[in-house]
Amino acid sequence: MTLTTMISTMAAGMLRTTGIFALTLIGSLPLGMVVALLRKSRFAPVRGIIRGFISIMRGTPLMLQLLVWYFGPYYLFGWNIGNWRFPALILGFVLNYAAYFAEIYRGGIESIPVGQYEACEVLGYTKSQTFMRVILPQVIKNIMPSVTNEVITLVKDTSLAFTLAYQEVFSLAKQISASQTSFMPFLIAGIFYFIANYLVEIIMNRIEKSMDYYK
Amino acid sequence: MIIEMKNIRKSFDGLEVLKDISFGVDSGEVVSIIGPSGSGKSTLLRCATFLETIDGGEILYMGEHAAHTDESGNAVYVSPHELRHFRSYCGLVFQQFNLFPHYSILKNIIDAPVHVQHRNIEEAKTEAMELLSKMGIADKADAYPYQLSGGQQQRVAIARALAMNPEILFFDEPTSALDPELTGEVLKVIRQLADEKMTMVVVTHEMPFAKAVSNRVIFMDGGVIVEQGDPLKVFEDPQEERTKQFLRVFER
Repeated sequence: MTLTTMISTMAAGMLRTTGIFALTLIGSLPLGMVVALLRKSRFAPVRGIIRGFISIMRGTPLMLQLLVWYFGPYYLFGWNIGNWRFPALILGFVLNYAAYFAEIYRGGIESIPVGQYEACEVLGYTKSQTFMRVILPQVIKNIMPSVTNEVITLVKDTSLAFTLAYQEVFSLAKQISASQTSFMPFLIAGIFYFIANYLVEIIMNRIEKSMDYYK
Repeated sequence: MIIEMKNIRKSFDGLEVLKDISFGVDSGEVVSIIGPSGSGKSTLLRCATFLETIDGGEILYMGEHAAHTDESGNAVYVSPHELRHFRSYCGLVFQQFNLFPHYSILKNIIDAPVHVQHRNIEEAKTEAMELLSKMGIADKADAYPYQLSGGQQQRVAIARALAMNPEILFFDEPTSALDPELTGEVLKVIRQLADEKMTMVVVTHEMPFAKAVSNRVIFMDGGVIVEQGDPLKVFEDPQEERTKQFLRVFER
């Protein structure tokens, strides 16, 4: 196998990696907010369930969670779902990352001084106006550094998809390395991951800068 | 009467902060509330502006009940929807300003008129600029709160409250978070509003200001109104021993 074939095969894998990455963010960023708000719900049972969910998601390996989502339906309920590999993968990633994002959001929401809520209340804002117009914009600014951290971790975590034999860049690197008895694929994978995270850093820095106009 | 509060009771975790307080404010009146910390002054203001709910008593704005007491002696408020209508009667200026840091000064002032009262944005802008000129900070319209001094921020907060056209404006220790050299500019603005017959209630520790600007001074201690009346009378010839004690501290 020539180096060019190797790189182009792995680039196709990187595209799948990017797919996992993008779908996970699209799903978990909003879901995390829902979880964070439910975590602060007025109803104690809801709070309890959400706390349990977050606790399990953070307290068990993501690799294990992926296996449960993939094999669980069959082994636990005897369901045979066709083409379940990719949906199970995304489900596992989205739920896991939503739990982490939820805790970041919660920290961000709790860091907003109570005076901001009181000012809104006196001015007659509704609860949703208060949240959308005043609280959320400030929360987003405050949590950007933590979100960047999480997004960078996600780029690398996508490699866990190899547990479900999904052909993303890391799975391919392992396969090609074994069949070609070459170390090269790992090096290429490393470079791919690094470039991806370099881009993430640049983009997140831009977003952070765009919110630098106030303190 | 713009606002009337009757027999207000309020406790926090069993500690009675307001003990059967009654007071009212007429249109155009400027009332100063003085008293030691923990006397319930701020709580009274927070109850009047619906930031705290009273345990018992009545709150009326423009003669209409926002809260009344039922047979068992507990306070009952009107529905949340109706309460929004009562909220529109009053404005509150906080000790800590509580401006919105992510909005420019102009946006801080027009956001509620536009999004709560659904007023025309151009009209709201024109009015906001007039208010800012009155506050002497028209040149700061495009700045952000962090770029302003405390005194300027507090003047923006006053403009923000006025932009809602309230019937009555409450001030909760408006100069207590300011450096001494900045209190003057804020007090000057309040004095100017008093001259324009804006109805105001000011919780303050600025005794000379209370004496000079208000029509009536209320001295509170231990959750009750100890003494009230004409500022000259209360300051020069207090009748109650507790008032005398309190004022003596300020003379030193």
